[in-house]
Amino acid sequence: MIDPYYLQQFTIGISLGMVYALMAIGFTLIFGVLNVVNFAHGEVYTIGAFAGIMAIAAFGPPFLVIVFIVLAVGALSGFSLERVAFRPFRRFSDEASLKSRAMREATLMSSLAMSIIAREAMELLFGSEFQTIDISYLINKPISLGPVTIVNGDIIIFLVSVLMLGGLQWLLKYSAIGLSIRAVSNNPLGAKYVGINTDRTIVLTFVIGSMMGALAGILVGLYYGAVFPSMGFIPGVKAFVAMVMGGLSSIPGAVIAALVLGVAESLSTTFMSSVWADMVAYLFLIVTLVFFPQGLFGARRERV
Amino acid sequence: MTMSRRTTLGLFAGVAGMLAVPAAALADGPVYLGYQLPLTGNTAQYGQDFKTAAEIALKDFNASGKLKVPVEIIFEDSRSDAKEGVAIARKFVDDKRIVAALGDFTSTVSMAAAQVYQRAGMAQLSQTASHPDYAKISEWQFRNITTQAQEGVYNADWMTQNGLKKIAVIAEQTDWGQSVVKDFAEQVKANGGEVVFTEFFNRGLPDFRSIITKIERAKPDAIYTGFFYEDGAQFLKQMKQLNVETPVYSTSAAYNQKLVELAGPAAEGLFLTVTFLPNSESENVKTFVDEWKAARGGAEPGQFPAQAYDAVNIMLEAVARAYPDVSRQNVRDELAKTTDFPGVTGVTSFDENGEALKQLTKATVTDGQFVPVK
Repeated sequence: MIDPYYLQQFTIGISLGMVYALMAIGFTLIFGVLNVVNFAHGEVYTIGAFAGIMAIAAFGPPFLVIVFIVLAVGALSGFSLERVAFRPFRRFSDEASLKSRAMREATLMSSLAMSIIAREAMELLFGSEFQTIDISYLINKPISLGPVTIVNGDIIIFLVSVLMLGGLQWLLKYSAIGLSIRAVSNNPLGAKYVGINTDRTIVLTFVIGSMMGALAGILVGLYYGAVFPSMGFIPGVKAFVAMVMGGLSSIPGAVIAALVLGVAESLSTTFMSSVWADMVAYLFLIVTLVFFPQGLFGARRERV
Repeated sequence: MTMSRRTTLGLFAGVAGMLAVPAAALADGPVYLGYQLPLTGNTAQYGQDFKTAAEIALKDFNASGKLKVPVEIIFEDSRSDAKEGVAIARKFVDDKRIVAALGDFTSTVSMAAAQVYQRAGMAQLSQTASHPDYAKISEWQFRNITTQAQEGVYNADWMTQNGLKKIAVIAEQTDWGQSVVKDFAEQVKANGGEVVFTEFFNRGLPDFRSIITKIERAKPDAIYTGFFYEDGAQFLKQMKQLNVETPVYSTSAAYNQKLVELAGPAAEGLFLTVTFLPNSESENVKTFVDEWKAARGGAEPGQFPAQAYDAVNIMLEAVARAYPDVSRQNVRDELAKTTDFPGVTGVTSFDENGEALKQLTKATVTDGQFVPVK
């Protein structure tokens, strides 16, 4: 018989991991296609959360309506982000520019800049404190399962993650959009030569990835009841670690790595002060980079 | 001879100080005060509150005609960053017009800046720095908040009175959090109780569930917590999520109406000490609360803005007493003489260390309101 204490800690870890995974999915999708980190993903997540709670405050719609509003806002912010921070660096489509690391990595800076601008703007607009949310919308009603307690949000987040993961795998494997995303991710120049509209594909990737990011934001916001302008930062770091551990461009890999991360953090709290629990994530990152430079699930180089 | 950079800086500060005193003393123009506080960054909400409170106090003071010349406050944003705090302190002491400084928000930043004020000889009055060592730095440091040395002992006695023996303690991992644990734990032991669990967490931790589960394994009678209202709301909500019903005691730092707003029913039954209750009957509290509500669209002020309001008023009174000789030394001396100042956070006097002596009130959350415990 396992000590119910560890069972509870394990459950908390899984639910933490699901939260990280939710964010890691969209993050990894965008990385898989462009091969650059989108630093503004955390802010898309925050914008999603703010859009959701503003909708709640304005007219208190049912849960599903909020989800659709958030998805729309996410799509819009993904589209604008691509337009402002990424497209200007793809102005030249000759082979040298496409292969130029400098051109690609300039978007690191531009997305970071967008993330800072968005965060500071939200701070100016809403203040940096937690926003007040109608308590009845929070998804944290306890459910007892024998010795462990979970909340309804755990179930919702689990279902959404499964849906996202499954839907994305289907999209990438069987739909025309998905095939073109994979083609661009594999070889942008080659994809262009065979007649794929690479710009449109990249925009679509951003739209899909950001919709997922925004949805993650509102779900986690309602799960914890904590929506504030810098809320995207810590999950962003954790999603980044999960992505690297999972092999940079494998979405299922990132999800598994996120779960491992969550459980490790939660269990490590037992043996050390929670102040050090954050270090577990970075320790994992270092260990992965030293011993598995390809990531745990990244041995096969097919992306996305 | 080579002069070290430190000596050079020291000389500069010294010269600036010498120049500053006569210039400020002779001025017929406005008297200037400096206020360093976080106006952006993660703790911006506190700094913004202080600013509003200071503006209310300043407006009323200037309108009252207690002083023939107007007083002005120069606000500088420290972002709760110790490096910024020191830079601002240097800027303030180099500004010949400024006679005294208010702030900063956190103990860490206030203590870093205090080194500069101490060397230059300028009074520093923090509305919130509650680390035990802050006021001891030099004769130039003052504060308008009860310390954990006072609150911790008071809370330990309160919990002993209620028959709680085995106590778990958690606090944020800051200078302040350390002092919450230390002074409380000592008094619990002195009262014959036992601290069965101690842990620190990083401020802004989103998920307390692992810690709560760990606390529950130690089976305490009660949990004593050193957190601010946002962490507090998360902690209380997640206690409820996990169906944990151990009573929670906290310090005045958790006292904020926003705590109840964020945590909802989960905040019910939280015990804490306060020095300010906005629904108090006294006249000056009513005035402050009304003006705050007018400035902030109807929201009630928490304890921190009230402390900032009192701190600014205490400073303004000291300036008024020092007038017309408004030198840095003289303002400091008048500040030290503050006795029985009738503030909104209770009657306040400074002891010989610049420590505020205040009356503490026991409170609890009932039906979404902070009410005094009889």
